[in-house]
Amino acid sequence: MKDPNGIERVEESVIKHSGFTFLIIDHMDNLSVEKVQYHNALIIDGKDVDFIRQIVRRVRSHNSPDIYLKPIFILKGINIHDALVNKLIDGTLFNLDQIEFIIPEVERILSRVSDLKFTNSISFEAQMIEKLISFMYTCEIQDLDPIPYVYSGINYAYPILSVNFRQNDEHTVLEILDIAEQEGIFESEYVDRTYLCSQCSSGHLSYREVCPKCGSSNSQTEDIIHHFPCGYVGPIRDFRNEIDDQLDCPKCNKRLRHIGVDYDKPSVLHECKNCSHKFQDYNVKAKCLSCQTDNSVEQLNGREIKKYSLTKKGELAAINGFVSTSKDIDEIIGTVKFETFKTMLKYEIERLRQTEGSSNVCAIHIINPSQVYSKIGSEVQKGLLKDIVKVIRSNIRSSDVISFQSSSTIVLSMNEIPYKISIRILKEIIEILKKLMATAFNNMEVNFEHKVVQLDYKLSPDLHIHQLTKDFNQ
Amino acid sequence: MIEELIDNYVRFLSSLTLDHFIRLFWFYIFFEFVRYFALEWFVLNLWKIRKHYNKDKYAMAREQFLFENPLVSIIIPGKNEGKHIYKLIKSLNEQTYKNTEILVIDDGSDDDTPTIGRDLQRAGLIDLFIRNEIRGGKASAANFGLRFTKGKYIVHLDADCSYDRDAIEKIIIPFYMEKDVGGVGGNVNVRNYDTGLVTSLQAIEYYDTISIGRVVTSHLGIYRIISGAFGAFRADVLDKVKGWDIGPGLDGDITVKIRKLGYKIRFAQDAMCLTNAPDTFKKLTKQRLRWDKSLIRFRIRKHKDVLYPNQSFRFANFISFVENITYNLILNVKWYVYLSDMLINYPSLIVNIFITNILLYTVTNFVKFTIYSLYRERSHAPMSYFLLYIPCMVFYFGFYLRIVRSIAYLQETFFKLSYNDPWNPKKTSVHAKKLKI
Repeated sequence: MKDPNGIERVEESVIKHSGFTFLIIDHMDNLSVEKVQYHNALIIDGKDVDFIRQIVRRVRSHNSPDIYLKPIFILKGINIHDALVNKLIDGTLFNLDQIEFIIPEVERILSRVSDLKFTNSISFEAQMIEKLISFMYTCEIQDLDPIPYVYSGINYAYPILSVNFRQNDEHTVLEILDIAEQEGIFESEYVDRTYLCSQCSSGHLSYREVCPKCGSSNSQTEDIIHHFPCGYVGPIRDFRNEIDDQLDCPKCNKRLRHIGVDYDKPSVLHECKNCSHKFQDYNVKAKCLSCQTDNSVEQLNGREIKKYSLTKKGELAAINGFVSTSKDIDEIIGTVKFETFKTMLKYEIERLRQTEGSSNVCAIHIINPSQVYSKIGSEVQKGLLKDIVKVIRSNIRSSDVISFQSSSTIVLSMNEIPYKISIRILKEIIEILKKLMATAFNNMEVNFEHKVVQLDYKLSPDLHIHQLTKDFNQ
Repeated sequence: MIEELIDNYVRFLSSLTLDHFIRLFWFYIFFEFVRYFALEWFVLNLWKIRKHYNKDKYAMAREQFLFENPLVSIIIPGKNEGKHIYKLIKSLNEQTYKNTEILVIDDGSDDDTPTIGRDLQRAGLIDLFIRNEIRGGKASAANFGLRFTKGKYIVHLDADCSYDRDAIEKIIIPFYMEKDVGGVGGNVNVRNYDTGLVTSLQAIEYYDTISIGRVVTSHLGIYRIISGAFGAFRADVLDKVKGWDIGPGLDGDITVKIRKLGYKIRFAQDAMCLTNAPDTFKKLTKQRLRWDKSLIRFRIRKHKDVLYPNQSFRFANFISFVENITYNLILNVKWYVYLSDMLINYPSLIVNIFITNILLYTVTNFVKFTIYSLYRERSHAPMSYFLLYIPCMVFYFGFYLRIVRSIAYLQETFFKLSYNDPWNPKKTSVHAKKLKI
């Protein structure tokens, strides 16, 4: 049933207008991010900025272009004083009656999304760069400006990139942008400098003047007085008498009368209340609010904050898919390309149509890739993926194939094997992987989830893949 | 002409009787020869004998000092001395005595001294760098530094000096040799002795007059100036005298203040320090005018009470002052009396008297230089280098220094010019002048 404005309510939280469906989110419980991919755009109905921020972050940080590139609009038309959210939404509405006004924008964005091709790079950095430039392309943004942002772990946010990381891992954004610049995707222009903790790379630092001896910030400052007639120099307390507010010289007992005439204050003296050390020059220390490390300012990691502009190469890469960088990971031995995997899957489905056997397709997904990859370099990342493949390969038959859907999702076939046994094998693999990760990385948790889908000859390969990965926590 | 002069001079010498010789050269005989050679040499011998007999005592004092291992605070006040500090710190870090703390006090420098000082502190080469943004004068900087010292002994240094490896050890030992030693002066010599005539002459002066003179006065208990370039003090004594007063001449002033409290002042001849002496007569004149004015300002004016028989009268202090005034101020006046005497009474002999005086002084200088070599701790330069310059010393001492001293005395007596000396900030000097200190 369409209302007079042409809006048709399809479901409780879905409306349709001009052939486009809009998913309306008005409560956190409503949001299963995966639902977004089945609609053309998303409308957030809420006044609470935290709620809006959370929804926007969840959508834009998803690693499927079907989700993170979807247009987002805010209903109620409230003014949002969050620069990051403002950069990540596509418009606002005062009420649903105005939906027709956003239709051209939705059309434009979806049309530009349809121009894009995506690759399945194994490199995490390449995947992030691809996401960044494809978003810039759909929004027709040429420049990526850093936004001073209080919720950013490095004090500046590059919206579509920063949302992929927790505050503690946000420094990786700068490394990814450096790679993109080296690859000629961006040109840069200096904007500012930010200082990061030497231990955890957080930019949330508390700068304090501290005692050079014990590092305490608990000190008091006194003026130094120089009494001209006798040359006595000491803190003002030496000159105070117990009777009145006058100042008397402790050396010659003369009363101090007139600053500049019989005395002056040539400097100040600080006294540490912790260790009683007297000093003139404070040390400046920066306490990290994330890991509590008290850095001396010389130890801090100074990073340039730059404004980035897409180059011609960048624009082409956005459309054609970002294929490779020097940091990219070559194909890992024992795996096939994702396209090849899909073709083989297609043949297996065709074979099943005729033989009615039982084959399965499985997936192993790293739940926290941005945390993991921001802590390890690309070399270690490559080693990690190789090890994972090695473990999987040694637990499946040689006729089964393994592929990377993305840097965090591995898919594999288990043909001619009962579904239950596939589940058991996969669980065993996950247990081995967990042990391997615990041994390899002391201070880092690598979390996995997995799924097995039995092949159904009535469904397409893409649908199988979709079934397999749709519930993964992105 | 020269032959006639020589002929005339030979005739003068051959006709000279003893009475006549005494009459014509009374100034040399009774003042210069007696005070500055005969008496000095005599006391030097006494000192040498005592030093020999005190060898064991000295060794014990050294042992006691090293066993006690007291903290020695080294304070280096100064303005725009950054360029010298590194070299100085290098020589201090080489010291055999290690339990020291080094404090550099910047008196409102307007060059890169603050940067250098802070760098040295950060690098751990000095213990503390403190700074007064506004210049207050050397006394205020030294007093400011004194606040931060923790040592039992305080060593005051000038930034443009450097020190023997054992200089700190040697300057502290006298505190353990005798009771009630309040301060010890180090032996300052000229580092740049070979840069020209001016510095060579000063080097001889430091060797023969200043250094040996201090050995003698110290032995007699009337040593009166602990050089600002290298002096050590007991921290509690400095606390009692409440630090330094306004200069110029603050090193002599603080020595007198300590003496007035009844403490002994000693000279450590073996605690060697090298300083850069002024290298032009203009700079030297400026320095000596400042030094000589302090005799009038501090001995005659500020501390004249030392000469009065009051409660705090001490015989040694009285003698120290009398000796100082006699052989500097009065002798200087007497020299003009002698000159007038000769000009009035023997105008026809004036050339011969002049030549004889020159010869007498030069011979004395050679003899002194040679004999005193036996009493010198050591020299950092070959003695033969200085022999060529000895003949010039008669002009340096007899005319140049005497004239400079006369000018200084007149300037200070009648015009109190030391209060206008830019060496000290005007804001403090006006108060010193008002208070007659």
